[in-house]
Amino acid sequence: MLLFRSEEHVNRWCSERGLPRRPLISLPQLWYLAVAWYENRLTAESRRPAADEMRGVFAGVGLEGPFWDPAADQW
Amino acid sequence: MGLWRKRRCGGPAMDLETRVKLNIYTTIAETTRPPTSAEVARALGESRAEVEGAFRSLARKRLLVLDDANARIRMAPPFSGVATGFQVTLDGRTYFANCVWDALGVAAALHRDADIKTTCGDCGEPMRLRVRDAAPVPQACVIHFAVPAALWWEDVVYT
Repeated sequence: MLLFRSEEHVNRWCSERGLPRRPLISLPQLWYLAVAWYENRLTAESRRPAADEMRGVFAGVGLEGPFWDPAADQW
Repeated sequence: MGLWRKRRCGGPAMDLETRVKLNIYTTIAETTRPPTSAEVARALGESRAEVEGAFRSLARKRLLVLDDANARIRMAPPFSGVATGFQVTLDGRTYFANCVWDALGVAAALHRDADIKTTCGDCGEPMRLRVRDAAPVPQACVIHFAVPAALWWEDVVYT
């Protein structure tokens, strides 16, 4: 994923590469994901979230649907 | 007595994989760079072959990404083992992250305020993000996910 100055910059980036526009998220949403993924990474118990845990994390910040489902086969 | 001994000894003995994982992450936190398998083996008093086995097991669990040829650590998310376009400075140290999510993840993992230097994915203009008191400082920007979650690890470097 990439950081952009604005939605206009995202649209241009996608258009120039012939790529579909995918979901945009905000800085507070990304911070929420960063904390969920990594706040315990330096502990003995740390691990990558399992698929159902990922769905819960994404739903907790309003990201739902097949694009955010790690087990989806279409999006 | 049992509890005292447990505390004194730091709790139940940890398995090798956990010790390797902690050594990798504490080394990165302290030096900004991932250790080699030889360095981890020396630090833990284990054989290099056993440590590389733990590296591979951690990679299967998606806690590491290794360069295939030499088992060097390419990623220990959120940290990058190579220079990237996402620099995170905190406490006078500069770390490289794998993406903007991981750049914020460095601040989250180390529980510190951080300054992030990167560029706009489209125009290449410099952008800076700041984390203060466990939250990002508000700034006009958006994050675009080009790859669906189910495919993130098919080519994690691209993702």
